[in-house]
Amino acid sequence: MSEVVDRWVQRLKGKLAPVGEMTHWERMAAAFDLKPTDLIPVAPELDYWQITYAGYSHQEIYNDPDKTTDACLRTWADLRTDAIWMYVDISHQIENFIPPEKRREHFLHRGEKDYLLFKPLVKTLDEAIELYESRAYERYLEGSRAVTHYTPHMLQLLEFQEKMDRIVPVIVGVATPSNYAETIVEVQQFVRWTITEPKKVKRYLDLALEERLAALDFYAEFAGQRGCRFLCLFGGARTWGPRQLEQFGYADRIFVQKAVKLFPYVFWHICGHNLPEAMRLLVEWEGIKAVQYDMPYYSQKLSWPEWCESVARLFAGKRCAMNSPTTQTACHGTPEQVRRMVREFLDATTPHTTAVVMPGCEVDSYSPVENVRAMIEEARRKPAS
Amino acid sequence: MEHSERLERLAEAVLGMDLEGVGPLVEDCLAAGLSPMEILSAGLSAGMRRVGEKFKQGEIFMPEVLVCCDVYYRGLEILRPLIRHSGGGGARGKIILGTIHGDIHTVGKDVAAPVFQAAGYEVIDLGVDVPDARFVEAIREHAPDIVGLGTYMTSTFMHTGETVRVIREAGLRDRVKIICGGPAVDPGAARRMGADDASDDAWEAVEKLDRLVEELRAGRRPA
Repeated sequence: MSEVVDRWVQRLKGKLAPVGEMTHWERMAAAFDLKPTDLIPVAPELDYWQITYAGYSHQEIYNDPDKTTDACLRTWADLRTDAIWMYVDISHQIENFIPPEKRREHFLHRGEKDYLLFKPLVKTLDEAIELYESRAYERYLEGSRAVTHYTPHMLQLLEFQEKMDRIVPVIVGVATPSNYAETIVEVQQFVRWTITEPKKVKRYLDLALEERLAALDFYAEFAGQRGCRFLCLFGGARTWGPRQLEQFGYADRIFVQKAVKLFPYVFWHICGHNLPEAMRLLVEWEGIKAVQYDMPYYSQKLSWPEWCESVARLFAGKRCAMNSPTTQTACHGTPEQVRRMVREFLDATTPHTTAVVMPGCEVDSYSPVENVRAMIEEARRKPAS
Repeated sequence: MEHSERLERLAEAVLGMDLEGVGPLVEDCLAAGLSPMEILSAGLSAGMRRVGEKFKQGEIFMPEVLVCCDVYYRGLEILRPLIRHSGGGGARGKIILGTIHGDIHTVGKDVAAPVFQAAGYEVIDLGVDVPDARFVEAIREHAPDIVGLGTYMTSTFMHTGETVRVIREAGLRDRVKIICGGPAVDPGAARRMGADDASDDAWEAVEKLDRLVEELRAGRRPA
């Protein structure tokens, strides 16, 4: 029982005007199942953005799950998107790898709207392997933010989802083995080592996979049993080339195989350099219902509509496409640019597969409210097929 | 063996990520009488240009690029004292590079620095999480043509305006051009925040650097 949840349920239950003919949950589920929807679903990843939208600073919610949940629910009540994203930050992921007295020195938080950043936990691959082999993540779990902040916040949102009779799904975010492996040592070191020390990288990745597979059991027990159905797997591997995907993609693939057995609506979040190659791989991995993707950073010879269409054709009959506008346009563009990008994405995608409107990565805290509203309005204007 | 063949091997060592082989190849070039500047420009830097071409074509990816950069640096370390001694290097201009305060990612800067050096720029790398005041100090100390502000994330890019303001308040804005770099940058937003340009691609950025240096030297000042 949570006071913040009950307050919002009391305020909203039975009092919300319908949006379309389906509930938000039904709309998202249908899109994931590649079935017709009444409206195009729109579910921007607002995890950071909603904190400041709701009037809090990131520092203010850092140790307060109630305020974090309040921010998510306030934002959803205002915007009525088709999903509620829980707030996740990097400290949730790696704090339990570090002794309490060392935690402060690893995090960097510049301003009230900024992301929490982290300094690498170790400098060498041997140290990273040792960190896992010593099972540091179990030793330091108690009192870490995974326990004190992430879990209570997640449970509160799921409580809201259930008390609202599942009219809107809560999206729970889970990091993949590749994401952990890169985060702990810094991505640029990790990807270098895939070339210079591939055997050690494999050992390291195997250990990360073992920990992540065990983590899925936690999610099944604490999230799945409390109603969680929509799971976002946020991957690393965003700068990997074909060589890395072939040699080391197995860890994420095994992780996915287990996740899709535990949750019905699993989607993959990827943004970064080598998206065309990654897209092909994600279509092969059984059980993923949708892919949240972005514009490749470099080497992109296609225009935005061409890129969206190429992905939609690849996804036809297999995956729901989740995109638009780009995170950069959401932040730096005008509302009209946002609208145009959403239209172009939908025009290119919906002839081939279902679509969910949402940028390929989290909406940045600095993104103007007008742009987020423009994204939602434009998605709602387009008749779904 | 011809000089051209030696330099070709060196360029291929950079592209081929030959971390162990690059040192002996540089030494071999020096022993054969090639000048350090020739080895740098026609060997190591030529290799980096090929890396850029392959990267743009989608034939190699970021992991390979980073190792190619490491190979380039390993060769450069041998040449650097010799180039300094002969007074060469940095003919196209001088850049100070740093990831701005609040951002600790090095991946973009680690690629940009060798690409700029290979293109003939002298690069002074201030590292990551660089306070605004440190940029001011470095401008005074090194008198660069360009200040490169690295930002990996949108939120840290949004602090560009603060760094530009501190540089302006120190009375140094007219002495330098400011360019932002990183995957989340946007040229229009960078200009609105008081910088001169932005690029998400190190090789493309070289063309922008050339133009900015030309503008600076022609006396055109930012508004």
